[in-house]
Amino acid sequence: MSYELIALTMFGAMIVLLMTGQRVFAVIGFVASVAALSLYGQGAVELPFNQVFKLFNWYAMLTLPMFIYMGYILSESGIAEDLYRMLHVWFGRVRGGLAIGTIFLMVIISAMNGLSVAGMAIGATIALPEMLRRGYDKVLISGVIQGGSSLGILIPPSVVLVLYGMIARQPVSQLWFAGVVPGLIMAALFVLYIWVRARLNPALTPVVSDEDLNMPMREKLALLRAGIIPFAIFFFMTGLFVSGYTSLVESSAVGAFCSTLAAILKGRFTWVLIRETSMKTLSISCMFLWLILAALAFGAVFDGLGAVKAVENLFIERWDLSPWTVIIMMMVSFVVMGMFLDDTAMLVIVAPLYIPLVKELDLGFDGQLIWFGIIYTITCQIAYITPPFGYNLFLMRSLAPKEITLIDIYRSVWPFAAIMAFTIALIMYFPQLALWLPQHMNVRG
Amino acid sequence: MPPLIARYVRFTDRMSDYVGYAAAALIFVMAATLIFDAFTRNVINMPVHWAIEFTQFTLAAYYFMGGAMTLKNGDHVRMDLVYSSLSERGKARMDVVTAICLIFFLAILLWGSISSLQYAIETGERRFSVWNPSVIPIKALMMACTVLMLMQAFSILFKDIATMRGKPLA
Repeated sequence: MSYELIALTMFGAMIVLLMTGQRVFAVIGFVASVAALSLYGQGAVELPFNQVFKLFNWYAMLTLPMFIYMGYILSESGIAEDLYRMLHVWFGRVRGGLAIGTIFLMVIISAMNGLSVAGMAIGATIALPEMLRRGYDKVLISGVIQGGSSLGILIPPSVVLVLYGMIARQPVSQLWFAGVVPGLIMAALFVLYIWVRARLNPALTPVVSDEDLNMPMREKLALLRAGIIPFAIFFFMTGLFVSGYTSLVESSAVGAFCSTLAAILKGRFTWVLIRETSMKTLSISCMFLWLILAALAFGAVFDGLGAVKAVENLFIERWDLSPWTVIIMMMVSFVVMGMFLDDTAMLVIVAPLYIPLVKELDLGFDGQLIWFGIIYTITCQIAYITPPFGYNLFLMRSLAPKEITLIDIYRSVWPFAAIMAFTIALIMYFPQLALWLPQHMNVRG
Repeated sequence: MPPLIARYVRFTDRMSDYVGYAAAALIFVMAATLIFDAFTRNVINMPVHWAIEFTQFTLAAYYFMGGAMTLKNGDHVRMDLVYSSLSERGKARMDVVTAICLIFFLAILLWGSISSLQYAIETGERRFSVWNPSVIPIKALMMACTVLMLMQAFSILFKDIATMRGKPLA
């Protein structure tokens, strides 16, 4: 059997087994173990276990449980409700103000949280019912939530970029800084889109009635206090990190600590909350870490086969594709696969195959792998919101109020997917949008 | 199901929970160590050289100890495109067949951990660092947790067989 054929068999076996609905980590680990044993014999029996130490040495992985913990505590602490009320009053008079406020809410949540699910949960349970009640067009606002929540993994902290950093062997801090500008550009484009739509068709976004907004200036200012806690958390976490006092991992612990303090301050802190949160954190972290462990084993066998060289040969030598065509083909395949796979599964399956290839391509600028991490992240987000099987679509359906049907959700995502695709095009054309900030930041680990 | 198996399932599930609760508490150990290190380094100018390695060990313990409970609670992602449309019995039937994946992977991990632990004991293996800790405790812990995960995998298998036969175990 040639090495290409073995690689193809491994990949095929994995896809078939995944379709049975067995746990993803078990399938990947199984294929890796069988392949290792049959290729290298009994000597390879330690190969899967030794990945534990590879993971061990990836210090940045510690941020993962910290940010998961932080996300849960924050969503329970009631900070999001206060923030939404503040944005609601302050943006109420703008056309489409609530929808625009929702995007701002998502940006703030993203800056404190590393997963897109949290943004979606907060958006769908707090912002969505409020906008529906005021007669906002449901197709528009369901798109707002979907689009806005995709900012979660682009604006730091981002859990997906931690995982990407592990696989691509790139510093997480650089990846996070690289996500800032594209994330903000995307948010700005979302706001612009909503504003234009609201201008063209005022019926989509009725103006909020006056009695809701007519409150004394003092009360309005008092509402601004809702912004203090998120700002303080952001300041302690990111500020200490950027100024070089704490390392990346320590900052994540500081963030977890600050969000616990915030919960205490808001009087939401109970033993039940702490117990529930630490249990949920454990289960999500275990899910991620076992998946990564299995994927590392798979990757180790795969690397030994030279499978990457084979793909590279096919793309560059035989089909004679230009580097940019290869990048675009990769992204199209991401969108197709993302319709079926969930984000972590996709990262651990696809990334080990593509990332070495990206390293080989000559695109004509430095930091290709950092840049690709950003492009990759946005592409995945497009994949999750694209019908028929986008992962986020179903999540949204399960979180949103009953009036919003799956059809509404399907119809709502296109403009936002288009904006995201446009952002990718911008970053491809001007790589410096992603790379300028990390190149000008000097931080600790 | 024979009463012996029912007892095995109850015992294993309970063990997984206890070890899982202990694991869940480790998040606070990790956070506290990291903050302590940041504090002593910046405020009283005394770097703690063991902090990083200690948290790395704790993270390994965290997901190994939590492994059995996450298996038991069904917290691992599946590609549920087809799977989610199956009935409870259909799911159980499918899992009984594909349980070989989980059990085989865990068995190989266990085998690897035993041979890795043996090596560590024979050579007195230590981490190469200022702190220079022995790796025997963590490797022993990982081995024990892998045993528990394997036991849990069989417990799940028994429960699935029971569901498949229409007499689910509580």
